Amino acid sequence: MKKMPKEYVGKNIFKVDAYDKVTGKAIYADDIYFDDMLYIKIKRATYPHAYLRRIDISKAQKLPGVVRIITAADIPWVKNFGLIIKDQPVLVGVGQKMRYMGDALAIVIAESKEIASKAVKLIEVEVEELEIISDPLRAMEKDAPLIHQDGNILATHYLEKGDIKKGFAQADVVVENEYRTSFLDQVPLQVEAGVGVFDPETEIIKLWVATQWLHDTQADIAQSLSLPKEKIRIIQPVIGGAFGKREDISVHIHLALAAMITKKPVKLTYTREESMITQSKRHAFIVRAKTGATKEGYLTAWQVEVIGDTGAYASSGPAVVHKGMYHCTGPYNVDNVKGVAYTVYTNNTYAGAMRGFGATQMAFAYESQMDILAHKLGIDPVQFRLQNAYSIGSSTPNGQVLTHSVGVKETIKGAVDLAGWEEWKEGRL
Amino acid sequence: MKKRGRGIATIMFGFGYGEGFPDHSIASAEVEDEGKILIRTAAADVGQGVLTVITQIAAEVLKVKPEVIRIIPGDTHLTKNSGSSSATRQTFFTGNAVKKASEGLLSNIYHYASIEFRSNYVELGIKDGYIFRNDNPNNKISYWELAKRVKEKGDCLKAEASFFPHTDKPDPKTGQGEKVYVAYTFVTQVVEVEVDTDTGIVQVLNVYTTADIGKAVNPKNVEGQIEGGTVQGIGMALMEEQVVKEGITLNPDLTGYLIPTSMDTPLFTTRIVENEDSEGPFGAKGIGEPATIATAPAIANAIYDATGARICDLPITPEKILKALKEKRGDCKE
Repeated sequence: MKKMPKEYVGKNIFKVDAYDKVTGKAIYADDIYFDDMLYIKIKRATYPHAYLRRIDISKAQKLPGVVRIITAADIPWVKNFGLIIKDQPVLVGVGQKMRYMGDALAIVIAESKEIASKAVKLIEVEVEELEIISDPLRAMEKDAPLIHQDGNILATHYLEKGDIKKGFAQADVVVENEYRTSFLDQVPLQVEAGVGVFDPETEIIKLWVATQWLHDTQADIAQSLSLPKEKIRIIQPVIGGAFGKREDISVHIHLALAAMITKKPVKLTYTREESMITQSKRHAFIVRAKTGATKEGYLTAWQVEVIGDTGAYASSGPAVVHKGMYHCTGPYNVDNVKGVAYTVYTNNTYAGAMRGFGATQMAFAYESQMDILAHKLGIDPVQFRLQNAYSIGSSTPNGQVLTHSVGVKETIKGAVDLAGWEEWKEGRL
Repeated sequence: MKKRGRGIATIMFGFGYGEGFPDHSIASAEVEDEGKILIRTAAADVGQGVLTVITQIAAEVLKVKPEVIRIIPGDTHLTKNSGSSSATRQTFFTGNAVKKASEGLLSNIYHYASIEFRSNYVELGIKDGYIFRNDNPNNKISYWELAKRVKEKGDCLKAEASFFPHTDKPDPKTGQGEKVYVAYTFVTQVVEVEVDTDTGIVQVLNVYTTADIGKAVNPKNVEGQIEGGTVQGIGMALMEEQVVKEGITLNPDLTGYLIPTSMDTPLFTTRIVENEDSEGPFGAKGIGEPATIATAPAIANAIYDATGARICDLPITPEKILKALKEKRGDCKE
C-alpha cells in the first residue's frame, strides 16, 4: 500500500528548540537566579554500609553565612521516596542505616556555595560500620547481612515458554557462556540542578528541576512531604540530555524542604562527582546464557540466568532486570525458552534507568551467543541471523505473537547491503 | 599489527512500559490568540526531539505551517500527564495523543465553520490556517477568526485527547502474555573496526545501520538518534565503567571515567526501513533506546572477526584484548 505524501511528517524540519540552544538563550535550571537566593550542599554518607550513631552540626552551624542545617530529626514527618518501591530516605537519621555513599545525612543552607561546602566538612558523624556488600553474588548468599530488612534479592522474575529440556535434546550444538556488563553513568552534560521557591500565600512550592516525567516526579515529592499534589508545582527548565538519569528524585525534595523551612529561594547544583556517586547507574549485569541449535542452524532452546546489581535502592531496578530477560533471545524464533532474573541489592550506587533498560545489556549476551554459534556451526553470521529472524506470526520470549510491523529481516538485509558484506568477505578470501 | 574486522548485531526492543501498566499520554490542541495553535503536553524533550515531532504532527493534521504551533513548556499545573520520556515511547504515545487532539480540534473547526458558512462539512476545505467553501475558496475564515466567533457564542475551539493502548501483565510464573509490549523496534548494525594487536587499541571505523521504525516523522532526527546512540554504545563497548570497589567509586569524574569524543566517532551510513504498519502516528515507532543497543555486541563481534579474541565482559579494554591474544583465547572462558 502506497501512502500519500505528507507535507510535514517525514520532512527534515529544524528542531524547534535548536535556535535557543545554539544561541545560548535556553535557560537550564542552574541558570535560574534570584537576588535573595540561598545555596544548598548535602552532607553525604561517610561509609557505604553503616548505622548513623551521632551527627553533630554545632561547628558547622556556627560558620558565618550558614543559614540553616536540616537533619532527619527536624523532619520526622517526611517519608521515603522511590520510583517503584519507596525504599530511599530523604535524610538518614540517627539509628538508621546509610546504604551507599550517596545517602544524604544533612541539608546545609548558606549564603553562598562556598560557605555551604565548608560547613558540610564541619559536620561530625559517628557510624557503626557493617559489612560492605559490593558483589551481588555475595549479597545472594544465605549468610550475607541484609541491606534492607526484606532480603537482598529484591525481585525474582521467571520466563518459561515451550519445553526447555526437549529444546536442548533437539540441539546438535549447545553453547554456554557468562557475560558481564559494567556500571555506566548516563553522563548528561548538565549535572543535577534545581531552584525552589515557597510561596507563603498559596503554600505552593515551585521547583525548576529537569525531569523526564513531570507528573510522576510531582507525585513522589508530594507523597514524601505528605502534601497534596497541587502544592508541588514543577516547571521544566530546558532539560538537556537525560538518558534515564532524570527519572529518579535528585535535588527535588531537598530543595522543597529548604524552600519551605527558610521561606527563601534556594538552589542546589551537584558536582560531577556527586552526580556520579549519588544518582542512578546502568545496572551491571551477569548473564549466564545457554543456547542450542540444530546442525542446519535453527535455534531450538535458549536459557538464561540474569543477575542485576541494583545497588542500594530499588529505583527502576525491578523493572529493568526482567525487561532484559524478556529480550533474552533477541529477534529470533526460539520455541523453548527458560529464564530467571534476580534484582539484587548491594552497597553500590543504586542502578536505575538508562537507555535500553536492561535490553541493552542482554543484547550483548544474545548477539555474542549468535555469533559464537554461527562460527561453531560454520554458517555465515548473516545467514544464521536471517534464517532464525522473526517474521509476522513469530512469538517473542513472552509468547507475544507479532501481528504487524516486523521488519527484522529487512534491517539485516539492509545493513549488509549498505556495508557491502559479501564483497568484503570475498575480498578477504 | 593493525587488523580489520567486521561484526554484525541485530536487536529488538519492546517499547512503552507495557506489561499491563496504565501507560498513556494526554494532550490538547487549541486555537489561541495571535495566530498560534497551542499544544499542551508534559512530554519532556531531552534532546531527542519530541517537541519537533509533535509540531510536525499537529501541523500535518491541521494544515498549518510548523511555526504556527506553540507548545507549552512542561509545567505540572498547565499540562496533564504525558508519561515519561523514556521507554522509547513519546513519539508513539504523545505523538498519537497530539494527533488525536489535533484531529479533535480539526473536527470542531469543521463543525463551527459549517455553521458560519451555512453549509455541510463535506463542502468545506482547509489550507494554511483557513477554512473555506470548496465552491468559493476566496470566501474563507481563518482559524483565529473562527475561534473569536465561537468564543462569542460562549464556547471555545479546543480539543483534548489521550492515547491509552492496552497491554497485558505477563504471568508471574512464566512471563507469558498476549500483548506484553505495544510494539517492537528492530535494528541491525554492521560495524567495522581496526584493532592494533600490539597495543590492544580499537578504532571503530564504519557503522552501517538499518532501523525498522515504521515511519520516520523527522528522518534527520532519527539519524541523529542513531548516531548519538551508537557513540554511547561505543563507550559501553570499549571504555566506560564506573569502577565501584567495596562501595566506593574510584573514578567519579570524567578524567577517570572515559566517554567517547569526536575522535572516537566513526563514519555513519544509515538507512531507515519504513513499513508504516505500526499503530504509531503515521505508522511511526520509537528509536530512542534501540539506537544504542546493537553497537556493543556488533563491536565485540567485529573484534573477534579481526583478531580471534572473544571478550565477554564489558568494556573491552586494550588490556583484555592483549590478554586474550596472548592466551590465544577464542571463547568466553577465562
